[in-house]
Amino acid sequence: MPSSDSEDFESADEGQTHTERKERKKRLSSSNYSENALESDSGPKETSTLTGKVEKPKAKTTDGWDDFDIDNPEESNTEVKSKEPSPKEEKQPKAKEETQPKAKENVKSQDTGWDDFDDWGQDDVISKNEMEQTSKPVNQSSNQQQTDRDIKEVTDRLASASTKGNSWGWGWGVDSLLSTATAGITTATAGFTTLTSQVSQGISTVLESGIGAPDPEELARKNNKEADTSAPKVEDTKPDEVKAKEDQPNAGANDGAFPFGSLLSGVTKFVETTGTKVIAGGLDTLETIGKKTMEVLQDGDPGLAKKRAMLGLDSGDKPVLSQILREAKAKAEEEDKVREEKREAKEVHYENLFDDFEGLVHLEALEMLSRQVTMRIEERMRGLDPEKRQDIKETLQQVAELCEMPEEDDEDDEPPSEGMSKPDAFHEKLQTATQDLGLKLVFQPLVKQYTDVLDWLDSSDPDIGEKAVYKRAVSSLAQCTALAVLVYHKAAEMLLVKPRRSTADEADALTQMTVVLTKHISELATLFTEKLNSISSENKEQINNHITNIFLEAGNSSTYIQNAFQLALPILQIGAV
Amino acid sequence: MTSGPYNYSYIFKYIIIGDMGVGKSCLLHQFTDKKFMADCPHTIGVEFGTRIIEVAGQKIKLQIWDTAGQERFRAVTRSYYRGAAGALMVYDITRRSTYNHLSSWLTDTRNLTNPSTVIFLIGNKSDLDGQRDVTYEEAKQFADENGLMFVEASAKTGQNVEEAFLETAKKIYQSIQDGRLDLNAAESGVQHKPASPGRPLAAPPAARDNCTC
Repeated sequence: MPSSDSEDFESADEGQTHTERKERKKRLSSSNYSENALESDSGPKETSTLTGKVEKPKAKTTDGWDDFDIDNPEESNTEVKSKEPSPKEEKQPKAKEETQPKAKENVKSQDTGWDDFDDWGQDDVISKNEMEQTSKPVNQSSNQQQTDRDIKEVTDRLASASTKGNSWGWGWGVDSLLSTATAGITTATAGFTTLTSQVSQGISTVLESGIGAPDPEELARKNNKEADTSAPKVEDTKPDEVKAKEDQPNAGANDGAFPFGSLLSGVTKFVETTGTKVIAGGLDTLETIGKKTMEVLQDGDPGLAKKRAMLGLDSGDKPVLSQILREAKAKAEEEDKVREEKREAKEVHYENLFDDFEGLVHLEALEMLSRQVTMRIEERMRGLDPEKRQDIKETLQQVAELCEMPEEDDEDDEPPSEGMSKPDAFHEKLQTATQDLGLKLVFQPLVKQYTDVLDWLDSSDPDIGEKAVYKRAVSSLAQCTALAVLVYHKAAEMLLVKPRRSTADEADALTQMTVVLTKHISELATLFTEKLNSISSENKEQINNHITNIFLEAGNSSTYIQNAFQLALPILQIGAV
Repeated sequence: MTSGPYNYSYIFKYIIIGDMGVGKSCLLHQFTDKKFMADCPHTIGVEFGTRIIEVAGQKIKLQIWDTAGQERFRAVTRSYYRGAAGALMVYDITRRSTYNHLSSWLTDTRNLTNPSTVIFLIGNKSDLDGQRDVTYEEAKQFADENGLMFVEASAKTGQNVEEAFLETAKKIYQSIQDGRLDLNAAESGVQHKPASPGRPLAAPPAARDNCTC
């Protein structure tokens, strides 16, 4: 099973494949071989994988070259992909020499599971030969200088067209990626795809673990420079190389005069031995192969005009992969930025704190009780005749109405009693609210938490940073909410084992308690925002941000508390039926 | 990945059950705080404890539900079994009645949890060997007959307490590895990292870490 990393690489890879496959279909519509069934499925899924990958959040600062954050994997793929045509190149002359059976034998003797391997070899030959027939004359007749100029011009055009600002290198990379990928895919069969993915994995791993990817900027510049200077020379070498291949088709290592040949045979070996040799070959090999692939692609197609046309790169109105990738990346970046800001604003995570204070698990337990009791009520109702059932329904409804939160009226906000501390007043309010509940509820933790908060606000250093106040605010809100939810949970448990129920009183008591608690939450929020406002800080915007968030979390707290209350409703109801 | 401050990969839900006074809450405190609470108040309904442990290099948060042993809470505590990945069934080796009730607790556990729930039998108060009322051998036999894991432990000295909780976690983890425990089932009692219910947040895509596929 591949590691998740290489899986990612692969999916991205295949996503591209899908896009290009359409092109390929177009291209092959007149040719005589059919679409491979294996390849034609699961396209949409792969595309979505690609999108998912691109949009994966990445928290990185922008430095102008951040394109490569996301592009890097693609570039690795470029290099990986560029391997595909290369073995094909190797095969081709062999086929001409009628030595293919031998090559097959070699492959088979190494790995019998790779029968598919042979197929792609043959397919390659067919397609390559076809290509050769049409392209060779053009190639030979074309003027070297002309080719040189063409290539240069196209490279420049690619560069300027592909990205607005920062890198023609990236453009080059993508276009060559597209081209090479197309070439590979055109000739691919299912077997080849498997092989490719294995190779990709191997290389991805190697790139990640061993060599260390080069600076893309550097790479791009180098590529471009060499493309400018070496193109004619390569055109020259090409026939020689083929010839050399014919001369010594089985040679394990070619001599230095034919560097590409040696590289290519290295690649074949690499493929046959599932990737171990890449380490030896190193990144230079990959780079050169990539370049070589570009040249081969341009062979008979100066300026890549045909291939560009095939890919629809020239028509501005059609969406192209690079465009889609760029847009997706921009979108992801935008999302990252928003998320980053959010995180900055609330580094303190309310939910996590609420969970840490056991609020979540009490809520969960309360929910389980609530569900259980609801089921019991329904069960009771099922056994009754319709008339009685209607009675019960009405009773349930009445209880629910008792539990409706009263309209907010701030007028009855009586000032704290004389000579009583705020926490004590709070405690008394809770006691008064719940005195008809008939339970011994424990409010000490809530009162103590309030005391702690007040003490902290009073005693804290006047120069305390806004961040510290904010952190304490969110934490206090989360803790208070968790303690409140605990009270509801305990009340529910105790109500269920209470011998004599008085539903109306209980409902009223819990409603009042909810009012007290939600008011308490606002009180806490107000205390902290006042504290924040008292801080003399030049960063007014940040303070306002914090204040907004505190009120947001206070609203959140109230929601939790009211949810807990609603969960307790069936427990009140079952006492009445 | 932005997983917040959570540095664990799983949450296992445990439930501790058994007669009143067998030392369920004390076992929990010994495990979470490494302390013995001499006079532990009666548990009302359920109390909670958490601790993060490590199994096979994976950090796991144990979310332990310590239920009330009082008979009157039995109906309430029955609501809490659902979704437990592990059940610690406790009796007191010095009180035979608590041992005799085990079959009733076991029935509840079997009925209210899923088949993959790991049940661990703990004979507590092993420090009081002089007052022993239940032999190790008969309890061991009971455990074997019912396919339970078993130790005698002491919440007071801490003997075997750690082992009971950890062995249960290992067994659960093994079930996950073997594919016997379906993480996607709501009742598995195992969660990948905490969810944050109750708030309409843009949920991040489910973390696929540790996926055994």
